[in-house]
Amino acid sequence: MQVQRSTSRRISIAFAALTALALVSTSMPANAFSPHSEVGVSGSTIKLGISVPLTGAAAPGYNKVPYAMKAYFDYVNANGGVNGRKIQLVIKDDAYSPALAKSVTNDLVLKDKVFALVGTLGTADNEATTKFVNDHKVPRLFINTGFSGFASAKKYPTTFPLFPSYAMEAKIMGKYIADNFPGKKVALIYQDDDFGADALKGFATAGTTFVAKIPYVSASQSDPTVVGKWIGTIVQSQADVAIMFGVSSATAAALGGAYKAGLAGKVQWILGSVGSDPTTIKTLAPTALPLLTGAIAASFLPSPADSSDPYVKLFQDVNAKYNNNAVFDNNVLVGMNTAMLTVQALRAAGKNLTRASLMAAISSKGSTWASAAFSPILYSGTSHVGYSGYWFGRLSGNGDSTPVDGAGKYVLYTTDSGSGAVVKATINRPALPEKGLPNN
Amino acid sequence: MHKRISSLARLGIFAAIGLVLIALSGFVDELRVYQGAEVAVYVVAIASITLLTGYSGQLSLGHGAIMAIGAYAATLAFNGWHIPWMAALAVGALAGAVAGYILGFAAARLSGPYLAGTTLALAVGIPSLANQFHVLGGEQGLTFDIGDVPTWASHSWLAKIGHGDFTTYKWFYWITVPIALATIWVVRNILTGPIGRRFKAMRSNPTAASLIGIRVSSTKVAAFTYSSSLAGLAGAMLAMILGLSAPLVFTLTLSFTLVTGAVLSGVSNLYGGIIGAMVLVAIPELSASVATHLGGSEKVTANLPGVVTSLLLILTVLILPNGARVRRSK
Repeated sequence: MQVQRSTSRRISIAFAALTALALVSTSMPANAFSPHSEVGVSGSTIKLGISVPLTGAAAPGYNKVPYAMKAYFDYVNANGGVNGRKIQLVIKDDAYSPALAKSVTNDLVLKDKVFALVGTLGTADNEATTKFVNDHKVPRLFINTGFSGFASAKKYPTTFPLFPSYAMEAKIMGKYIADNFPGKKVALIYQDDDFGADALKGFATAGTTFVAKIPYVSASQSDPTVVGKWIGTIVQSQADVAIMFGVSSATAAALGGAYKAGLAGKVQWILGSVGSDPTTIKTLAPTALPLLTGAIAASFLPSPADSSDPYVKLFQDVNAKYNNNAVFDNNVLVGMNTAMLTVQALRAAGKNLTRASLMAAISSKGSTWASAAFSPILYSGTSHVGYSGYWFGRLSGNGDSTPVDGAGKYVLYTTDSGSGAVVKATINRPALPEKGLPNN
Repeated sequence: MHKRISSLARLGIFAAIGLVLIALSGFVDELRVYQGAEVAVYVVAIASITLLTGYSGQLSLGHGAIMAIGAYAATLAFNGWHIPWMAALAVGALAGAVAGYILGFAAARLSGPYLAGTTLALAVGIPSLANQFHVLGGEQGLTFDIGDVPTWASHSWLAKIGHGDFTTYKWFYWITVPIALATIWVVRNILTGPIGRRFKAMRSNPTAASLIGIRVSSTKVAAFTYSSSLAGLAGAMLAMILGLSAPLVFTLTLSFTLVTGAVLSGVSNLYGGIIGAMVLVAIPELSASVATHLGGSEKVTANLPGVVTSLLLILTVLILPNGARVRRSK
């Protein structure tokens, strides 16, 4: 016993010593001798951070976004960087869990000491870190969520959402259905959190009525019995049109389930922008392909397969050279577009880069920057609203989304997150800067 | 009489340690302060395992679920009744105690692997209840925001020691460290008193214990109740420092992590729980630096802590198979 006790004590002491050593060794600030005083900015680098699902139910598809961003940053770095500084992107996995997002954001800000967060993904995940981000006045740029609440500059002073809100999307979709499918029975499957609630708000404003509303808990889409219930409800409700408002893995599950239930050709699927990436869907559920072909999807960026679009062409080239030629889809497009806006924001904030100068630059100049989306950016001194419009495309099995009115005929609908009307807008997009390198 | 004095003296020592620890918060950066608060939470959680498994000899693999109950109760009470955070933490402890009392009746009829299995089922089932009831906030969870640091704290003489701003995380540290120390003091007093002796008698030999007049089943219920009130408190503290009660906070991994922490420190060693808690907080950080040095991807970094925790558990059991018995010979 005596021997064992001393062994136990020795091991305990060893653990304690190791722990203390580890904590001390990782306490050393990385840029202690930096001549620049702003966190995450040195004479030669700018450190940015992103928390995204790299594992778990929401990971398929989204796990490509941060690497696409990194590829575009590498492209800019290879061409001189931003005001002589190279951009570094620290990527952390939050598995789409608000709790994990909270802890990795702690790490990004306090341990990695990033200058700003960029493209952080998920409504609930961004909500969970808001207090911390606000307290530390960390800029949170171009977040990957369409929850309309994030546009409140009062509640989220350092956050700049980019995507059109889910409320806008639902409103525009409601109008599109009223115009194109009058009198048809419509069913809705939606993720049951702020993401879905925002969509319900938009549909209510548009006056869309549903024969069935099917909420589901995020991640439950991997449970076949849950998916079976969705499809059962759709069949029972005799819906002609089914709307899917969830992540791509949920869309894949729904379409796969619908195919098994023999719904191919019987129901017109309309997919929200969040979960309509064809590459991701057909990888996850090859059986979904017959239903995917012909489905209608809302998008704010051009079709990733449209190489005639100068932005798409540039991003495809950067993807080939800096991203190991990953399959070019919506996720890669979103990542590169976000990175391009980030570079413009960093340039506009000036050589003497600070968190405050970055946010001021977005407010005052963000609306003029080059970006691939068809709708204008609405940032201003009083508005944190980014994009405000969508176009509708019909999907083909190969990942192409062709505008419903024919190839190249993008029809843009814009609106706001409140009670404003949905209007057909003219597309007036800034030209791609030379070689896709911002010169603002 | 002698005992009473020594217990009071210990209280004085604990208070002094508490003051020193709190004063130290002025000299470390915010991340360390936050980790300090995490360690404090784990100390309370591990103490609950020590009390149950180390002293009363019952195994629970479901303490993560009890923590969830405490967390949700505290969050709902705080948001719904607008009570002070301190009262909300007490509600968390109370909810844990009630859950433990009920669970204790099942536990009184079960032992060994059957008890482990039952509590394991709880760990799987309870957190997912949040997805079934809207009032629990679903996957996204409920916010638990205790608000800004009160001025009496940020302007106190203790706050003037050291440097740096008085951040919310520092405030969490100030709250959790005294609670952790108080927990150790209380649990130690319980375990060295008549209740603790009954627990130990029951653990060593239930038949002999009942022969000398100890009612084994009600003692088991008592052990579960005490232990679960601490787990409930730890859950409420965790929700407070995270600012959130969500199902994914209270995973199966958390339950196993707690057991690992308790086993690491010798499951009947109350003070050892502090080391166990420190190791648990250090594991993700160590794993991250190891993964970075090995050039691993972000996915490796995300999954490595789980592997390290499991390995530690296995190694501890292999190297110290009777770790729990070491102190029994005393």
